[in-house]
Amino acid sequence: MTRSALRRLAAATALTVICTFTADAQPAPRSEYEIKAAYLFTFGKFVDWPPRPARDESAVTICVLGADPFGPVLDATLAGATIRGRKVSWRRLTGPEDAAGCHIVFVSASEERRVSTIVPALNQLGALTVSDMPQFASHGGMIQFVTAASRVRFEINLLSAREAGLTVSSELLRVASAVRNGAGPGE
Amino acid sequence: MSERHGSISRRLTWMNMLVSGIALLIAGVAFAAYDLATFRSATVRELSTEARMVASNSVTALLFNEPRAAEDTLAALRASPEVMLAHIYTADGRLFAAYARDGAASPSAPPAIPAGANEISSFNATSVDLSRQIVSDGAPVGTVRIRADLQAMYDRLRSYALIVAAVLVVSLAGALLVSRVSQRAISRPLAEVAAVARQVSQEKDYGVRAPTVGTGDELAVLVDSFNAMLAEIQLRDRSLQQAHAELEVRVRERTEELHASNKELEAFSYSVSHDLRAPLRHITGFATLLEQRSGALLDADGSRYLRTITEAAARMATLIDDLLAFSRMGRASLSKSRVDLAQLVRDARTEVSADVNGRRIDWEVHDLPSVEGDPALLRPVMVNLLSNAIKYTSTRDEARIEVGAEANPGEVVVFVRDNGVGFDMAYAHKLFGVFQRLHRADEFSGTGIGLANVRRIVQRHGGRTWAEGAVGRGATFYFSLPSQGAA
Repeated sequence: MTRSALRRLAAATALTVICTFTADAQPAPRSEYEIKAAYLFTFGKFVDWPPRPARDESAVTICVLGADPFGPVLDATLAGATIRGRKVSWRRLTGPEDAAGCHIVFVSASEERRVSTIVPALNQLGALTVSDMPQFASHGGMIQFVTAASRVRFEINLLSAREAGLTVSSELLRVASAVRNGAGPGE
Repeated sequence: MSERHGSISRRLTWMNMLVSGIALLIAGVAFAAYDLATFRSATVRELSTEARMVASNSVTALLFNEPRAAEDTLAALRASPEVMLAHIYTADGRLFAAYARDGAASPSAPPAIPAGANEISSFNATSVDLSRQIVSDGAPVGTVRIRADLQAMYDRLRSYALIVAAVLVVSLAGALLVSRVSQRAISRPLAEVAAVARQVSQEKDYGVRAPTVGTGDELAVLVDSFNAMLAEIQLRDRSLQQAHAELEVRVRERTEELHASNKELEAFSYSVSHDLRAPLRHITGFATLLEQRSGALLDADGSRYLRTITEAAARMATLIDDLLAFSRMGRASLSKSRVDLAQLVRDARTEVSADVNGRRIDWEVHDLPSVEGDPALLRPVMVNLLSNAIKYTSTRDEARIEVGAEANPGEVVVFVRDNGVGFDMAYAHKLFGVFQRLHRADEFSGTGIGLANVRRIVQRHGGRTWAEGAVGRGATFYFSLPSQGAA
């Protein structure tokens, strides 16, 4: 085999690989927490918070309560992000008492045992509570991630949000897998 | 009216129809073009509105990966029947949701919207594509493409064409009607002028006039000028006729005067000749008596005087006789018949045989034709010419006289040639005048009336006389008579 023929074969192989890769299209499937981190941030675009003196309303603060499942993914997602012109900042909390300045609080599954106390406290602060622990919405949490067939979806407990003084856009409700209007199981 | 009227009115009608047809067509096409342009931009606007709605309603679907929600949004496009298909693509170019009017969705590549624009539209033969970026909070999250067919546009175009055609037909019918009526104002005066012109040129009747037009425009000027022209022509024609009539009257008057004076002259010369004979007879008579009575008493001189008186009187008598014959010639009417020239020459030779007086004359008479004429008048012509020929060859020892004729077209020319003393051609024009003589009387006797008589007779027959000759070399006298064909 000559060198030029070799080169041609290599080029053809590379082309085939690229084509196969491109045809399969789906660009690097995102991990579950990548998706959740993106959703966590995107929720902020469809929610209006009641003003609270303890919080900086010119920015949107996203907090993670409990054991952080995101890791660097969260930092990568939120770095430099804005929501309707407001800068997005984020921090990690150990307990609900630190959440006074938070707009969105992701309650880690590690806090499942404390959920019945944490959720009312956070709701009291006027924060959007989000979690992927089961029964979170039933406990008064506002948005609960539901992963089915490796698809991340979410339920909304509209009643809790309303009681906390939050306004959730109907756009968001439209894409929710379920919307609860009470503390009971969703419709 | 006439066919000319028909042709000009048809031309006017055609012109009207053509003009209105073209105007309507241009207007129709312009309106259709304007309407189609408007329709296109309206279509784009409509699609843009729909795309905007789809875009804003599919933001969350894209953000939270809910294709079904997006499909629900797209399904609302069913309300717009012209939308063929609608696709929503994710920001990374994946087909996210699709809608197709006819069920089968044709997969297509995501639209490439250039940076800086958030909407593009493109037309092709049957459809229009509009693509719009879906933006959430300033960041592109996907694109929507809506394709609508242009059936409505073509329907509209067709109905426009139908309407224009209908309007065209109706308008042309209207134009035909209107121009039929209105062009009469133009074509009728023209047709009337044309009819009058035809009448004038065919019947030479300059008294007719075209009916005037009261409009004061070019047509009225044309008709009025035409009438004025006719009036002028009529005036001139009348004066021309008048002048012509006057001229005729004058010519007739002059001719009559001429005839009268001619007659008077003839009568005068006749009476003069006649009256001169009486004293002449006395002179001759008494001279004869004197000679009988006292001839013996007279000496030689006296006898010579008396003889001279007698001779002079005799010559004068001949003169007067010739003059009388000449003047009678003018009055006598021609009684034409067939005249055999050969016979005429024979008779004339007999008549002049006395003049030959025993001389030797070499006659050469050619074949001669018959002519049309008065034999009683042609005879003296021939006698005269032969007599002259004999007379002027008297000095020749061998006289030669030749008579011939040649037939020219329309006439017969007769000549008498001799080898006599001849004449000077410079005086040829005087030969045929009364009392014109080229030779002295004592050289050759004669009254000077003979050739004048010849000319008069020949001219009365419609012919000509002329002569050729040279001094000492003989002379040829010609006369022509019209032949049957041209007489």
